[in-house]
Amino acid sequence: MLVAQLLVNAIALGAAYALCALGFVLVLNATGAVNFAQGDMVTAGGLSSVAAASVLPMPAVVLMPVVMVAVGAIGAIAAAIAYLPLKNRPAVSVFISTIALGVILQNTMLAAAGPAPRAAPPLIATRLVQVYGVALPLQSLAVICVAVLVGGGLFVLLFQTRVGQKMRATAQDRAMAAALGIDVVRVIVLTFTLAAALGGAAGVLLSNTFFVTPFDGANYILKAYIAATIGGWGSIGGAALGALLIALFEVLFPALPLIAPSLARLPAAAEIFSQTSAAIALYIALLAILMLRPQGLFGETARRRA
Amino acid sequence: MVGANTFAGRRRNHMRLVCLALIGWWMLAAAARAERIEVNIPVLVPLTGFLSLEGTSQRNGALLALADPPKGIAVRFDVADTGVSPEVAVNALERALTGGQATAVVASMLGTQMLAMLPLARERRVPLLTVSGTAQITELGNPYVFRFFPGDEVTKAAHVRYAVEELGRRRPAIVYQTTAYGQSGRRHIVENLARRGISPVFEQGIDVQIRDMSTILSKVRATDPDVILLHLHSAPTALLVRQAAAMKLDVPIVAGSAMHQPPTAALLEPAELKNVCAEANASPVSGGSPELDRFLADYRATFGGDPDGFALAQYDAVRMALVAVEGGARGPDELAAALSRMTYDGLAMRYRSDGKGNMAHGAVIMCYDGADRVPRVVKRYESPVGVPAN
Repeated sequence: MLVAQLLVNAIALGAAYALCALGFVLVLNATGAVNFAQGDMVTAGGLSSVAAASVLPMPAVVLMPVVMVAVGAIGAIAAAIAYLPLKNRPAVSVFISTIALGVILQNTMLAAAGPAPRAAPPLIATRLVQVYGVALPLQSLAVICVAVLVGGGLFVLLFQTRVGQKMRATAQDRAMAAALGIDVVRVIVLTFTLAAALGGAAGVLLSNTFFVTPFDGANYILKAYIAATIGGWGSIGGAALGALLIALFEVLFPALPLIAPSLARLPAAAEIFSQTSAAIALYIALLAILMLRPQGLFGETARRRA
Repeated sequence: MVGANTFAGRRRNHMRLVCLALIGWWMLAAAARAERIEVNIPVLVPLTGFLSLEGTSQRNGALLALADPPKGIAVRFDVADTGVSPEVAVNALERALTGGQATAVVASMLGTQMLAMLPLARERRVPLLTVSGTAQITELGNPYVFRFFPGDEVTKAAHVRYAVEELGRRRPAIVYQTTAYGQSGRRHIVENLARRGISPVFEQGIDVQIRDMSTILSKVRATDPDVILLHLHSAPTALLVRQAAAMKLDVPIVAGSAMHQPPTAALLEPAELKNVCAEANASPVSGGSPELDRFLADYRATFGGDPDGFALAQYDAVRMALVAVEGGARGPDELAAALSRMTYDGLAMRYRSDGKGNMAHGAVIMCYDGADRVPRVVKRYESPVGVPAN
């Protein structure tokens, strides 16, 4: 029962991280540059959800499309001011400009919403539901379902539509895509919009259970960056799985003595299986992946890291 | 003719009286101007970054006190954001002191910024009025630092005393933040427990970025504690309290001062707050005296939100400094000397220096009843440090 509860919590957390990481990878593929403002899109999504709920007190699942459109619009503006003017400069320029954009977003959100942590409404409700005799939080189950739906929608868009075909073509080779008549600038703006909308969706999913403050973005971008590195730089499926692995590690590693009681008898078990050790172990694993499999777990070939 | 002379004479007399009155008024006004004391108290606090919630409270408390100085005192002040880095704080202090002689400075509650500002304050001989909890700032022998929020040695003594003496608990679990703030609190909790012959059944530090508390709460539950002692920042406190309620962990929680902040309680449903208590210097939202009620009303009217203990402590700090000026302290050196020797009955507590600049020596414990988000003060500790070992 405990394992099931922890697993559901970990998958829910990983599913929300995955949406953020997917947005990160979309922009990475389309532009070849790291978008450091992606974490702040998650925060913007959370705070937009809080704001929307104050006007329309409804479950977050109803507010989510509105939030995704609003944060998507921020993504389009981000493309216009932080990417397009620098698109012919080295990738490091975009890297820096997205950091600047992130700081602007953080302080704008601070001015608009204040520094206090806020809780967005739950997707449906916050209660426990019985699943095969195990009490599981409805919010976590709803987060998993919504994230799967949003991720599935993204998959359909990318692989079953003309727009997705153009986006993939632009991601593979911008010059060739332009030569074939694709409006590359429009596709890149669309990619930023979509990435921000995914970040906004992640914000809606995270900010009920875990609250939201204007400065949470740095934490989420770090998770997205690591997820993309573990999964395979530029791999969409790899980023999602990488995000899931991070969450499983965060939640389950410190709980190992509860899952396997024999581990609790190890000397210094409390220290070995602490939250701090989990973070150390995660980053050791990351270093090992970088050394042993530089293209990431699901990447095809080693690509240039910004 | 006589009548006309009489009329002219009366008019002259009236003119003389008016002139005399004008001269008298001018002399009185000049005298009042001469007696009017001008003070400059810059406010340098973190308004952006991870401590912006507490920094905003600090600023609001200071501004409320500065807006209503004692009669005869004219106050000048600027507000500057110190962010979260020490160099920004030092630059802000440098700028504030360059613009004219400051009588005192409302200084950041972030310990690392205070430590960076202290040498400059000593060099320029200007008192810093702060609510920083970092123990070290008053341990460096700097006579220009005055801390109006009780340090961990005070609050954690109250924290542990309440759990052990009032609740009768002997099997505490401790969850703390891995930041300097959390480590300091944890050390004082453990020391206070040890003085009573109690060892925690569980203790673990968590990073501020940790979101999911179900793992740590599962581990807490596995050790069968009879009370959970928290020393976490605002959002992690609310996360843990909420998840403890969701897991139906039927163990009382005595939290650190982050819990008493109204924005923390606002994140939780009243029912989730049942069985939750917290330590702090005071609970302004709980009221308790006409003066405190007036402060609460003024704060709400001015800032549109509820004050916390940091706002109240900073309000008391600035009021005490202004009262010292009213009492004859002229200039920063005299103010520092006055703050070192005077006793002041503030809204939160009675303040007096211990010789190191620690002005606050009391703490309160407040508890939530599960019906609303306003806590009730259940225990006051005037000086909990002086507790004999059991």
